[in-house]
Amino acid sequence: MAEFTASVYQNEFLPDGGTDVHAIVTVNCTGAGAAGSSAGDEAGEIIIVDTSGSMGADGVRAAAYAAQTALDQILDGVWFAVISGNDRAQLAFPASPEPVMVRMDQFTRQAAKDAVARFYADGGTAMGTWLRLAARVFATVPSLTQKHAILLTDGENQHESPEVLTATIEAVTGQFQCDCRGVGVAWQVEEVRRIATALLGTVDIIPAPDQLAAEFSKLIRQAMSKGVASADMRVWAPQGAQVLFVRQVAPTVDDLTARRTEVNPLTGSYPTGSWGDESRDYHVAVRLAAKGIGQEQLAARVQLAIGDQVVAQGLVKALWSADEALTTRISPEVAHYTGQTELANAIQEGLAAKAAGDTATATTKLGRAVQLAAATGNEEATSRLRKVVDIDNQETGTVRLKRSVEKADEMALDTASTKTTRVKK
Amino acid sequence: MDVAMTSTTRTVCPSCGGPIADADRFCEACGAELQPAGPSTPALDTDTEPTIELNPAAGLNPAAAVVPGPCQSCGGTIGAEGYCETCGAKAVKLRDHFTEQPAPWVAAVCDRGIRHSRNEDAVAIAADPEPGTRALLVVCDGVSSSLDSDVASLAAARAARDVLVAGRAQGMGTESSRVAAVVARMKAAADAANDAVLENTSPDSPNPASCTFVATVLEDGLLVAGVVGDSRAYWFPDNAEAMALTVDDSWAAELIATGVPRHEAETGPQAHAITRWLGKDAPDHTPRTTVLNDVTGPGWLLVCSDGLWNYCSEAAPLADLVRQTAAAHGGEPLAISSALVDWANAQGGQDNITVALARL
Repeated sequence: MAEFTASVYQNEFLPDGGTDVHAIVTVNCTGAGAAGSSAGDEAGEIIIVDTSGSMGADGVRAAAYAAQTALDQILDGVWFAVISGNDRAQLAFPASPEPVMVRMDQFTRQAAKDAVARFYADGGTAMGTWLRLAARVFATVPSLTQKHAILLTDGENQHESPEVLTATIEAVTGQFQCDCRGVGVAWQVEEVRRIATALLGTVDIIPAPDQLAAEFSKLIRQAMSKGVASADMRVWAPQGAQVLFVRQVAPTVDDLTARRTEVNPLTGSYPTGSWGDESRDYHVAVRLAAKGIGQEQLAARVQLAIGDQVVAQGLVKALWSADEALTTRISPEVAHYTGQTELANAIQEGLAAKAAGDTATATTKLGRAVQLAAATGNEEATSRLRKVVDIDNQETGTVRLKRSVEKADEMALDTASTKTTRVKK
Repeated sequence: MDVAMTSTTRTVCPSCGGPIADADRFCEACGAELQPAGPSTPALDTDTEPTIELNPAAGLNPAAAVVPGPCQSCGGTIGAEGYCETCGAKAVKLRDHFTEQPAPWVAAVCDRGIRHSRNEDAVAIAADPEPGTRALLVVCDGVSSSLDSDVASLAAARAARDVLVAGRAQGMGTESSRVAAVVARMKAAADAANDAVLENTSPDSPNPASCTFVATVLEDGLLVAGVVGDSRAYWFPDNAEAMALTVDDSWAAELIATGVPRHEAETGPQAHAITRWLGKDAPDHTPRTTVLNDVTGPGWLLVCSDGLWNYCSEAAPLADLVRQTAAAHGGEPLAISSALVDWANAQGGQDNITVALARL
């Protein structure tokens, strides 16, 4: 049985008239077990592979091999299906005109591998159709408690309008989780990130087709280790208070604020997807009505809930003090993740400005990113930034844009922008 | 007192105040017969004492240490963690505000005030039912720059009160021996209070708990006050001049002694620096005592912490304040004590506030 713990890191002391309370809540899960292994839990997995014409024969062959490797990692008993997508979606396995899923066993695994081997490159790209078919396929097994997909694409969503894709993302949000990967450099990071973020998944670049198999295999192994099908973060704030934001800040930055659904007038619920043995950090900010010096109050109650059951809780407090030594101290955890969030934004905004030809803004933003990555000890981000800018001074964030940049390096910087380093505790 | 004796429970002869050990059947000093240790009816009623755990931090359910009932801010429900489930306000801790009234003519109120987040003041009192006969008032003010002073101060006040309660001076027939007995008991009470502070200080505390001490013993017309630090006792006879019974152990008091005006000394930057206290790092905790004979009243005996006298230090205006407050509250000691605490809070409540009153 999975066990959750929650720890709160904050400076609860507010100065006279202070209203904003910030806290980092670390939620830790142990003993999650394998996906679908708990009583009443059933897991489903769908592999979605781009088979558009741009993939080419070699690309499709590499993708098929990767899908076969992924099939090997799906546990026996887990419901699964394979979708091949171009400008429309087809259920490649189980081959059927109507949506359907089957349980994994030695026969279905072999049959699925054989079906995948018959992939060929043809047609355009309309990812919305793939997502809609995946949702319909998952819906055929109502007993599924955990629904996860991996999606591979190689190009822009050319055969579908952005509005249609947006509507599709909204329609399928909450129906399954989806990790997205782009192969090569012809796809749009922002477009795929929208899908992954809405579907509580990750986005990353796979520069060359021969790296696909290892990545697919890793993603499925991770999905199979998520023994907790679904959990929600609940945030209670007192009457009259305003929840400014709720963000996941580790392992990646993900703003949950807009995903609030109401539990009761004072409590909001935010989906966090499935959990394996892992630790995640959340940044919660609440604005209170200021109270008098010496007063203390609960600013927020942060809980993790599985269904209706609360499995972990942390309390965020506020205490007004006249002691400046207490009120001016900034929690190192809050400072660290505030920096990491700004780092993610600076990278994304810098790259967007660069793509739009706004060199001045790009230089400023990416310079700030270099500065923040150094200050927060995010060496991975620093080394990725180095491939896009020449760093004159790390402390002041003085940089020059490189004349020629590998497209893949720029995309890797973009997709990894939300990855954070943990605060040293 | 030799080493063997200090290792036993420290008690004093109820007759002369001399040191005695648990096993003694007679006092070594005056020869009075001693009651055997064991269950005995308590001399004074202390049943009104609130049930405050000395250490609510030690894994207790926080809700158990708070004032029961709905949220005092909005009327909401108090949750298991001790906060209102609607407005988030922290439930009032029993330690933050409590009252005692062992007899109708004696009462005390101890309050967190406004600016401090904890109540490090403490009070423990006892009295005979018959008005004006016997009252024991102890106030300790925890030093807020040290750790666990709220726990230590309450333990100290109760320990001192218990020592004062345990004996009633008969003396050897003379007034001077009766005074000596009470003064000795006052010293034993300060010793017990100091021991209680030490017992509530972690041995490796970087900042050991400490507190002030002020106590008054009123017994059959004899009034003795003892002080360590800057908590105070006053005597306000209805028909005579008000008087302070104690002189602070503070920089301010030392300045006053050299001729600096009281108001200037008590509002200076070092005004609240005390020169003596109870605790592990206390250089000396022997109470300085003041003795008044033939105290019959009518009048008010006031024992308080600096949370009150900060706003009214001189004896005469403070006596006026007490008399006016008494007139407004029908002379009822608990109501007057509460009103004086409210008054100090209205002045700003910069510190914890304790008021103990006896009406003679």
